[in-house]
Amino acid sequence: VRCQLYPPQRALQASAVLRRVSDEQKEPLASSSQQQFDSHPADHRPEQEPQGPRPSYTGQGGQESEDYESEEQLQHRILTAALEFVPEHGWTAEAIAEGAKTLGLSAAAAGMFHSDGSELILHFVSQCNTKLTELLEQEQKLVQLGKAEKKPTDQFLRDAVEARLRMLIPYIEKWPQALSVLLLPHNIPSSLNLLTSMIDDIWQYAGDQSTDFNWYTRRAVLTGIYNTTELVMMQDSSPDFEETWRFLENRVADAMNMGNAAHQVQSTGEAVVQGLMGAAVTVSSAETSRAVR
Amino acid sequence: LGRGLCPCRALLARRGGALRELHGSVRGLAAGPEMHFGFQTVTEAERREKIYQVFESVATKYDVMNDSMTLGIHRVWKDILMHKMNPSPGTLLLDVAGGTGDIAFRFINYVRSARERQLQQKLKHHQNLSWQEISESYQEGKFKPLGDSQVVVCDINKEMLKVGKQKAQHLGYSEGLSWVLGNAEELPFDDDKFDVYTIAFGIRNVTRIDLALQEAYRVLKPGGRFLCLEFSHVSSPLLSRLYDLYSFQVIPVLGEVIAGDWKSYQYLVESIRRFPPQEELKAMIEDAGFLKVDYQNLNSGIVAIHSGFKL
Repeated sequence: VRCQLYPPQRALQASAVLRRVSDEQKEPLASSSQQQFDSHPADHRPEQEPQGPRPSYTGQGGQESEDYESEEQLQHRILTAALEFVPEHGWTAEAIAEGAKTLGLSAAAAGMFHSDGSELILHFVSQCNTKLTELLEQEQKLVQLGKAEKKPTDQFLRDAVEARLRMLIPYIEKWPQALSVLLLPHNIPSSLNLLTSMIDDIWQYAGDQSTDFNWYTRRAVLTGIYNTTELVMMQDSSPDFEETWRFLENRVADAMNMGNAAHQVQSTGEAVVQGLMGAAVTVSSAETSRAVR
Repeated sequence: LGRGLCPCRALLARRGGALRELHGSVRGLAAGPEMHFGFQTVTEAERREKIYQVFESVATKYDVMNDSMTLGIHRVWKDILMHKMNPSPGTLLLDVAGGTGDIAFRFINYVRSARERQLQQKLKHHQNLSWQEISESYQEGKFKPLGDSQVVVCDINKEMLKVGKQKAQHLGYSEGLSWVLGNAEELPFDDDKFDVYTIAFGIRNVTRIDLALQEAYRVLKPGGRFLCLEFSHVSSPLLSRLYDLYSFQVIPVLGEVIAGDWKSYQYLVESIRRFPPQEELKAMIEDAGFLKVDYQNLNSGIVAIHSGFKL
């Protein structure tokens, strides 16, 4: 009996902040007591068990029934709300505390996260990457529907990197701090993961289908371009970051040329060899003719 | 101070013979469920009574005993607890079983320096304001050195509170501090009031731990944090042997020499062994409704900090 009583009690108690995701759909079978619990989260001693079709409570450790938001979702909501306070407080526990307060939670909820703000930054980066992927997806759809022209590779890369870097603009002042936190040893696996998946996405949408060593070269090159452009952006003070975009343009152009240069080097090499051979022949024939005289 | 370190909580501060008498009478009374009292068995009512008496007589020697038993390390434990809490200015803390005020004083210090940093940051931003705006901000009355943070110290024992109040006066703590007499199993506060609830070395002496945890859940705001600092179980066998040796041979002797009270400190050591280990306490905290419950071992499990959130 005890086990039976506590789980629903806990699910409902736990819903003090975790709200029903499907709030709009008022289940007609759900008794009024259920509604009461939703609106009075402080009511910690329910008189009766809720009736009606209730999803079963699966266990402890934050595994609520499907209708309720999980701990992770709540954490995401807090972090998203905290982003608003980053320009003022930086990527710190204070920003997270402010974010928690806007959701109606106590500032102590920031204790759920690391005090160095790592989760906030990783959350932000992941959010930006998702937005970029959506953007590229939309563009691709337009091209497929024939409503837009397919961009040449260098233009595509430039636009993708620019779009992604522009997402940093609201937080540009505190971004150097974020970069240094991302380089902390315990964050490197996650931040590297996010970076490589983003670069991979860009190349996928750019139409890269290579299966040879080019796959690695392309990604390494683009990662280099992205990182250096990001650093340039940190100390760019030109209007609307013109300098940064110009830098980006040059780097992408260099990368494109590098691909051509590889061929050129080969043909140049041949030309040089031929030249040397010709020179050798000329010199030796000049010697011979002198010797003959 | 090692409130939990004070074994007085459980054992009689009187003669050992009285204990044996009580033991006999307990069987005769059969009043209420049987509980553990160190390695003894008593009723619930008896346990409460004894614990009260113990702390009543030890209150004045509490701090001294803590320092001598843990060689001062309890201060470090409490500092770690405070760092883990990382309270921001404006936090409302409830320190239960906080009799002599150790956690409360640390909280005030922490919040004060956090507030100073906050004000400094604000001043940096102020460098772009006009003279008008700057003068207005200075006129905003007091600077609020604590930033509206407050700590309420709640204890069941009048003597412990008395010692705490004296200490506060002696050390100069007055603002943001209040002392309330109350029982952890039935707190005299409204629902959803506090940001953080702490109980340092006190939960071992609570007779009904589940009730105390439920009360903690009740008085915390949504998003509020529960923190419990308590003696726990040592995992490594070698350390466990040394720890047992120290506990059973040295501590009661110290108790007799410093506080004139062998039995109380015998109880202390026994009650530590009887207290549920880390995982079990974690499960109990989860049962009360807390989420994201976790614990951190200090000194390989001699002490553990459990943390949970009301979400």
